[in-house]
Amino acid sequence: MLQAGDWAFVFANLDYLLAGAGITVGLTLTSLLLGFLTGFPAGAIEVYGDGILERVVSTGGVVLRGTPIVVIMLVLFFVVSISKSAFITATVGLGLRSAAYQSQIFRGALQSVDEGQMEAARSVGMSRFEAIRYVVVPQALRRSMPGFQNEFTIVLKDTSIAFAIGLAELLTRGNDLFTQSGRSTAVLEVFLTISAIYFVLTFATNRGLDRLSDYYAIPSGENR
Amino acid sequence: MTLLRVEDVHKSYGDEEVLKGVSFEMDRGDVDVLMGPSGSGKSTMLRCINRLTEIDSGDVWLDGTPVYGPDTDVNELRQDVGMVFQDFNLFAHLTAVENITLGLKRVLGVPKAEARERAMEHLEQVGLAAQADSYPAELSGGQQQRVGIARALAMEPKLMLFDEPTSALDPELVGEVVEVMRDLAAGGMTMLVVSHEMGFARSAADDIHFLDSGTVVESGPPEQLFERPEHDRTRAFLTGLQAETHQ
Ligand SMILES: Nc1ncnc2c1ncn2[C@@H]1O[C@H](COP(=O)(O)OP(=O)(O)OP(=O)(O)O)[C@@H](O)[C@H]1O
Ligand SMILES: [Mg+2]
Repeated sequence: MLQAGDWAFVFANLDYLLAGAGITVGLTLTSLLLGFLTGFPAGAIEVYGDGILERVVSTGGVVLRGTPIVVIMLVLFFVVSISKSAFITATVGLGLRSAAYQSQIFRGALQSVDEGQMEAARSVGMSRFEAIRYVVVPQALRRSMPGFQNEFTIVLKDTSIAFAIGLAELLTRGNDLFTQSGRSTAVLEVFLTISAIYFVLTFATNRGLDRLSDYYAIPSGENR
Repeated sequence: MTLLRVEDVHKSYGDEEVLKGVSFEMDRGDVDVLMGPSGSGKSTMLRCINRLTEIDSGDVWLDGTPVYGPDTDVNELRQDVGMVFQDFNLFAHLTAVENITLGLKRVLGVPKAEARERAMEHLEQVGLAAQADSYPAELSGGQQQRVGIARALAMEPKLMLFDEPTSALDPELVGEVVEVMRDLAAGGMTMLVVSHEMGFARSAADDIHFLDSGTVVESGPPEQLFERPEHDRTRAFLTGLQAETHQ
């Protein structure tokens, strides 16, 4: 099972794996960013929009959430071929899928802000847009943090699905290592190593996001 | 001089007619109190004045401007009508002073430093200058409501609407809010107050309007309405109210 020679092999290739981890982190960030930039407005449209736009957005969300991410990615790369770059394709696939989930996080958060907040803002003469922008959204963003944190973890781990389109991220590189001839005995060591890297990344970012939440939390008196 | 004229206002929700032709007038500087049983349409009436709710028919005039006129900008209109809510509705993510400066900056375009200065004056007016940088959740209900009053006052409205401003408060906190309202009344502010605070009504109100099932059953100065109500419904309501406050 675990063998010193195989560990030595993994450590000799640690640079190669860490470079893959770098791509994993990069892909997580670009996907989440695309997901946020698309998902936040989509959530707002689902709450405040009406008519055709609202229907298009909510239907798009249902379709994206109902399709396996590996199918989305394969279709984007091999069928639609949106880009020759696996990284860009993976960003679009993961980003849109994340947008579909983030839109639900923001929709719930926007709806959870008490109606009275909007009324108070309108009663001092703010327009509907100003009330949303300055009163509802800042509160909704704070309430989105737990859901967003969850989404971050999911996207980070799902970057491994870019394996299916050959992007040289962490999982793909791990696979490259033990499929070299004569190295199949290192499979367990490789998977333990990349799992540990995923774990460290997840743990560290969650801690970081916890800090961010605390920093922006609205003081409530009790936790002083 | 008439500041507010409400004329034959009707409002329905679905099949239920909540306001069935309400009319009354207020002069500048008047303090009027709306009373009536739960569901009689008091909140709806207030909200129809700043158009948080839209009327079905009738007319509302504020200082000569038709509130429901085709050329009336509802956001401009609302700057002239301050509103104080039963649940305070302070902006939860902003400090007391920021609750006040937000409207000054975004609606009136007051520069930041001046907005803060003006906000502080209004916080002083309600006795809360020391709490300027506290968040709503760090304040007592009474303090929150006073900030709510300051927030409305800062827009320098012509009319202030109060919807049961003390009914969400613990009894021991009612006094501080009523005191602020009395000061306002004494200072000449025109105020329309939904409240069952007999003490405030007696001492500050010019007229009481008793609303029941969407109609003003009777109106008059407190001494008349409280001591010699003409209608059975008013009498029954007042008896119930006294029983409640004396229990
Ligand atoms: N947005 C709404 N949609 C449907 N019905 C409503 C709405 N707002 C109020 N109503 C109904 O209109 C009637 C009058 O309500 P309103 O809130 O004006 O009464 P109120 O006199 O303020 O009562 P309370 O003393 O309980 O605050 C009630 O029957 C209420 O259920
Ligand atoms: Mg009410």
